[in-house]
Amino acid sequence: MRAAGWGRRTVLFVWVLFALFPVYWTFITAFKQQVDIYDGPRFIPFVDFQPTTQAWRTLFGDGGGDFFDKFANSIIFSGVSSLLAVILGGFAAYGLARHSYKYGPYRNDDLSFLIVSQRIMPPIVSVLALYVVFVNLRLLDSSFGMILAYTAMNLPLTVYLLRTFFEAIPVEVEHAAALDGYPQWQRLARVVFPLAAPGLAAAFLLSFFFAWNDFLFSLMLTFNDAQTLPLYITSLNAQSQPLWWLISAVGLVALVPPAIVTVVLDRFMARQVLIGGMR
Amino acid sequence: MAAPQSRAAGGQWHKHLLLSPPLAFFAAFALFPLGFTIYVSLSNWSITGEHRFIGFGNYATILASDTFRQSFLNTVVFAVVTVLLQYVLGLTLALLVYRSTRGQSALRLLLLVPMMFTPVVVGFVWKTLFDPSYGPISWLFDRVGLPQVPWFSEQLPAMAAIVIADVWQWTPFMFLILFAALRSLPTAPLEAAMVDGASGRRLLFDHMLPMLLPASMTAILLRSIEAFKLFDVVYLMTGGGPGVKTSTVTLSAYFTGLRSGDLGTAAAMTTMLLIVVLIATMVLLRLLFWAGRRRSRADDAAALQVERDDVPDPTEAVDAPVTTEVR
Repeated sequence: MRAAGWGRRTVLFVWVLFALFPVYWTFITAFKQQVDIYDGPRFIPFVDFQPTTQAWRTLFGDGGGDFFDKFANSIIFSGVSSLLAVILGGFAAYGLARHSYKYGPYRNDDLSFLIVSQRIMPPIVSVLALYVVFVNLRLLDSSFGMILAYTAMNLPLTVYLLRTFFEAIPVEVEHAAALDGYPQWQRLARVVFPLAAPGLAAAFLLSFFFAWNDFLFSLMLTFNDAQTLPLYITSLNAQSQPLWWLISAVGLVALVPPAIVTVVLDRFMARQVLIGGMR
Repeated sequence: MAAPQSRAAGGQWHKHLLLSPPLAFFAAFALFPLGFTIYVSLSNWSITGEHRFIGFGNYATILASDTFRQSFLNTVVFAVVTVLLQYVLGLTLALLVYRSTRGQSALRLLLLVPMMFTPVVVGFVWKTLFDPSYGPISWLFDRVGLPQVPWFSEQLPAMAAIVIADVWQWTPFMFLILFAALRSLPTAPLEAAMVDGASGRRLLFDHMLPMLLPASMTAILLRSIEAFKLFDVVYLMTGGGPGVKTSTVTLSAYFTGLRSGDLGTAAAMTTMLLIVVLIATMVLLRLLFWAGRRRSRADDAAALQVERDDVPDPTEAVDAPVTTEVR
């Protein structure tokens, strides 16, 4: 048993090293100068290279206008589209949980699967067509277009996740609210949605995560005004010698929202909030 | 599944209203683009907008093209290799962390860190790590006396580098799902098996893995769907190179469609990709349903065993045939 314990610890230690070294590398690269990067690997600040805040001064100083614009775009597109996806998806999920539908041969489970199936289609299939459509509707490189695209990307997820949440809320709760004289929309707003709050939060965070990480839509459907942070990062690579220190610094900034999302979701997982959707 | 709750009077029209926005988005962002893409794939549509219907010409062109065949093969290889590696590693980590008693939640969060990286940044970070002249990996190989690997100038090393980056980022996802599933396993059957004197290995293979099957299949299905979309990391690490030797279908379609302006051929490529993804998804969904049925059988068997262990009755010998039959 003792030997097994050591084996277990060694495997975990090696993996944690593998998982965290690139993170460390990004972190120190964000504090390096050009020389320290291109003159072979330097590992330890103050020992084999002198850290500098040059990258951070560029980003948050005069050269940062572009960075702030793209950062704001990323926050706005991800936030607004996730909110829309949770609200619209929440209503639809509630409908699927409480009513029975029959559109031709399609009943509740089929409709639910139909909506989820959009996630199966690789985005490159639709994005070529969307490019042509966006050109014709003058939506190319517009905030509105990007928010629409990200909402479409996240709706399947929110409908699917939230349906299980609403199904878990007993109908009797709603009947009780109806007896208390609440009209339908107030029953939803005052009783059902608050009860599903953990689910709504989880769905919002996951949606935000996917929109934030998107690269393909932004690459194809924007070229300047509506570009997001990932596009800004690739623009730093355009030169023959990539600006690694800037790329790493922006990469660390881009890490913050998903990190918050992951920590909060991990809390949810620990409280078994998401398990219903995983089964 | 659905509880029919709508009251007959007046409660009917708004239920359609609830469902209409997702269906409208489905029509506008999935159904229409799909139909349009299939139509474009049958034409010689160029990015300037001129087009003519040409039948299956584009499909004949791409099937004869080495570039497309290479990208197609790469997409399948990447999907199979990365998902399998991620599953095995994710499961191993989940089992190891599950058995740790101290610092479990801190360890769990540490393991999740790679997932927080934006894929674009993942591509860049691994590109510097593998860089032949100033990357730490080449430095390490040099130090321990291993031969220098041409990471980005030969096909196999370049593919390995991409696989490592992808496995680095997404193994935590497998870990997350499998760990949650492990924690939700009923403990009674496992304890019963332990009382029966099952070894750690038997416990794992006969009891835990069968009970983890549905969660495993779900995780594999979700990852596979994503793996077929592989684009960002390849685009940034190798750009599909050397030549097109590490290209994927999405990458080829992007270059053909937007860079060369040949939307017709690009559309044909994506349609081929969609067909493969649909086939793979259907196979995996079948396996998922099968796993679900097996899981419920395993649960029944376990329940039976628990019952038997709870009540030590003198007719043990009579019981024995029943359990073997269930197994």
